[in-house]
Amino acid sequence: MIRQWHEPLDFHEWLKRAFSFLNIAVFIVTAIFVFSEFRFDWFESLVGTYLVTTNEFRPETGAVWETGKQTSSAHEYLNKIIDKKEDVRLNVHQASSFLDLASSVLPGEWVTLEKQQFKILYLSLEKSTALKIIEPARLLWLLKASSLDRIFCEGIPGGVKIYFIDSENRVIKQIDLKKEHILEIENSKKPVAGQLADMEGFLGRIYPAKVFFKAFFKLPADIIPDLIVNPESLLKQGGRIINIGIWNEAENGYIKLGFEFEEKGVKQVVFIKGREWAVWQLSLNLKGDEN
Amino acid sequence: MNLFLRLLKLFRFCLFSGLILVSLSLVSGMFLVFYIAKDLPKLPSPLSRIIERPQTRIFASNGQVLTTLGERKTIPLNMVSPDFINAILATEDHRFFEHHGINKLRTLKALYITLFKSGKIQGASTITQQLAKNLFFSFDKTYKRKIKELLVALQIEASNTKEEILHAYINQIYFGAGAQGIEKAARVFFGKSALDLNLPEAALLAGLPKSPTNYNPYRHLALALKRRDIVLKRMVQAGFISGLEARQAMLSKLELYHGQSDSRTGSYFLDALINKLVLKYGEDVVYHGGIKVFSTIDTRLQSYAKESIKKGLERLDTMMGIGGQDVDRPQGALVAIDTGSGAVKAMVGGRDYYKSEFNRATKSLRQPGSSFKPFLYYAAFKDLGFNPATVMTDKPVSIPVKGAANWEPENFSRTFSGNMILKKALTRSVNSIAAQIVEKVGPGAVTAVAKACGIKSPLKDVFSVALGTSNVTPFEMASAYAVFATLGVRHEPFLFWRVEDAFGRVVFEHIVQEKRVLDPSIAYQVVDMMKAVIERGSGRSIRQLGFKRAAAGKTGTTDSYNDAWFTGFTPSLCTSVWTGFDRKKKLIGINRIGITGGKSAAPIWADFMMNALKSEPERDFAIPDNIRFEMVDTKTGCKPEKENKVAEVLRVPLKPGQHLCEKNEQ
Repeated sequence: MIRQWHEPLDFHEWLKRAFSFLNIAVFIVTAIFVFSEFRFDWFESLVGTYLVTTNEFRPETGAVWETGKQTSSAHEYLNKIIDKKEDVRLNVHQASSFLDLASSVLPGEWVTLEKQQFKILYLSLEKSTALKIIEPARLLWLLKASSLDRIFCEGIPGGVKIYFIDSENRVIKQIDLKKEHILEIENSKKPVAGQLADMEGFLGRIYPAKVFFKAFFKLPADIIPDLIVNPESLLKQGGRIINIGIWNEAENGYIKLGFEFEEKGVKQVVFIKGREWAVWQLSLNLKGDEN
Repeated sequence: MNLFLRLLKLFRFCLFSGLILVSLSLVSGMFLVFYIAKDLPKLPSPLSRIIERPQTRIFASNGQVLTTLGERKTIPLNMVSPDFINAILATEDHRFFEHHGINKLRTLKALYITLFKSGKIQGASTITQQLAKNLFFSFDKTYKRKIKELLVALQIEASNTKEEILHAYINQIYFGAGAQGIEKAARVFFGKSALDLNLPEAALLAGLPKSPTNYNPYRHLALALKRRDIVLKRMVQAGFISGLEARQAMLSKLELYHGQSDSRTGSYFLDALINKLVLKYGEDVVYHGGIKVFSTIDTRLQSYAKESIKKGLERLDTMMGIGGQDVDRPQGALVAIDTGSGAVKAMVGGRDYYKSEFNRATKSLRQPGSSFKPFLYYAAFKDLGFNPATVMTDKPVSIPVKGAANWEPENFSRTFSGNMILKKALTRSVNSIAAQIVEKVGPGAVTAVAKACGIKSPLKDVFSVALGTSNVTPFEMASAYAVFATLGVRHEPFLFWRVEDAFGRVVFEHIVQEKRVLDPSIAYQVVDMMKAVIERGSGRSIRQLGFKRAAAGKTGTTDSYNDAWFTGFTPSLCTSVWTGFDRKKKLIGINRIGITGGKSAAPIWADFMMNALKSEPERDFAIPDNIRFEMVDTKTGCKPEKENKVAEVLRVPLKPGQHLCEKNEQ
């Protein structure tokens, strides 16, 4: 049914329509609505409560979260440095030789080396080899009589720097160890394929084993231990000694001796070091025997 | 009747339009909430988490905390002066405890003003809205940002008590001068805790967040006080205080705290240190990593350095007739380095950090003038076999320069004195002799010595480099002269000993490494000559000022009087002082005579060194075993003749093989 709407024709009709129940109800509801909002802020509370329910699903964006991320990133970076240092420390702790030590600390990395460990590494070297790293007397002074606080290792390209530092972080003594140098030191114990006659430094000073040991045992008993200070590498080597050579130069108070071994037709030379003055005494004996 | 009908019609129109408008607003409001809510940032819970941030702390060498970076010192509301709480509420949001995040009437009023009053923008942010803005949003003025900020404010209100919100707000607002949070602000501006703030102080601080830069009381005291008075008036209007209390507060004298101004973020030394750290670890680690940095600075020496620079520059102002009102005033810089390690013990980069943050100690490249001559003399002794007793002639020189006009340096005195030994030539800073030496030894030898000593700025390969025409910084000069103090051993200068993470694990350690770069005997000969500079030469004002310890140094003044230096050292501490204008402007006294390093920089050096070394035992420079001393006639370079009573005689150190009179023909 369609009702034809028309404008009120008189004042009475106007009043009647204006103050109809519906209008008054709508007005009151609207007024309550607006008034209650101003009075109780329910809209704000409603929206706020709704947003609280969605909070967990929203992104962590904005200045304060960015700061948090920066903090996390900073901690990650620092932890990375610390972890790396800890790895280096563990590797260094497990190092059984100076070569291991040099390989454990990469350029730009540094770590504190326990004094005890340095002593172990040092004492594991042959005397003549150890001397090349640091003189025993100086080490004794550093470890037992100086103001040494810590030993500090820093990786450098191709090796490691070892700093002996006091409590004020001042370097008392510094040792630069290059890997190739350490290798050279350590490899000097390993046999080299070939014969003494092919090695220039021994020319004119190669003696058959029989002649050498004859002269050797003519030496006074107190000199003999200084001639072959570390016999381990010689004893380990298979085969028989056929020739012994004396190097033509002294180094740090020692002279290199080459022992030529033969085993199943294969010749190898093992190098050791004897104290310069003991070798000199031996040389005199050898020359005497030759004459 | 018609009129009444029209009114009724209007009423009906308004009613239904209003209804439609409210309905539309509700619908669009809900739509906006749903639409924008998904992009809103997540709120941390509890809210206090947002203001917890690890602080990077920088310590002085004595363990005193110099500054904290990224600091948010959170304190509970009951540890804040009630006057401040009232002041901030009255200023920022006096209906804070009544609304739910928005002050609707204020918002409508602001909207009306913004829309209908052209050129005017009215803000209506409540404390909660400001908190939302500071924590999550940029400062872009867009409607979308504003709506988001409003919605976050509603959520903050829905999930936190008013006390929690206020607590978060006062602990994160920025007050300027590096102070974030009320506790830090109270300590920075008044040197006290937030609980101890009195009414005028609280009102001043409450006025700062509106514009921390413009109301910074250190820079704009009058504006800050005006703003404080506005805050006090609002407190009266809000009923927090009476009119009488406000008037008394307005009349009270404000005492700003200056004690720690150099220890806050922003001192020259800290600037340099933070720059180094940022270069090494990046900004995140430095500002947000909570690291501990153990710096080299000695707070006692730093305070003396500041005081010496202040006094010295005021004296220079007086010498130049510059009044307090003059904007263009000479500047100064001082760097002190421990010669035994390279640790920087004090650094001042200008007369007032708060007026100019440019660090002249590390960044200002200036001509060192004659203070470069020790490098020249060392090169001559080493490469030419000269010694302090070698005789040369102070005479007009004209040195041909390839592709340019002849170089004809003049002496400061514009006179020439004939024959003299090199010790006297350095003592009197004779340019003509220095020019003859550099011609013989070559500029490359001079720059090589300077570089070996630690000068890192590019040095020109020209004769005039020997007279200090290549720019260097005071930091470099202090570091390079320290090599002479140790008779040739160089220590890399550094600003921090150690860096630890928040758990105390060591991230970095500085190891003091020595590098011999100069021959000790030759270095000693140069040091002996530099001692004479202080005893009787261009730096004699140092002795006149009462500095009696064994010390060596050299003044430096550029031809144009733009730069005046004194760099000198004792066996333990090396200090370089520079004075001059930032712009190219001469240091000219009231009497129209140029001011030299001996007059402007040397007194600053003396004042600083006297205080810095007062608790240290006196000691002289170690003399190398192969050095012997001879008395020499300064004119002939020979042993003084007994009958010649007028001859000037000096004691010179000689190395084995060096003899008197052997170079008289020079």
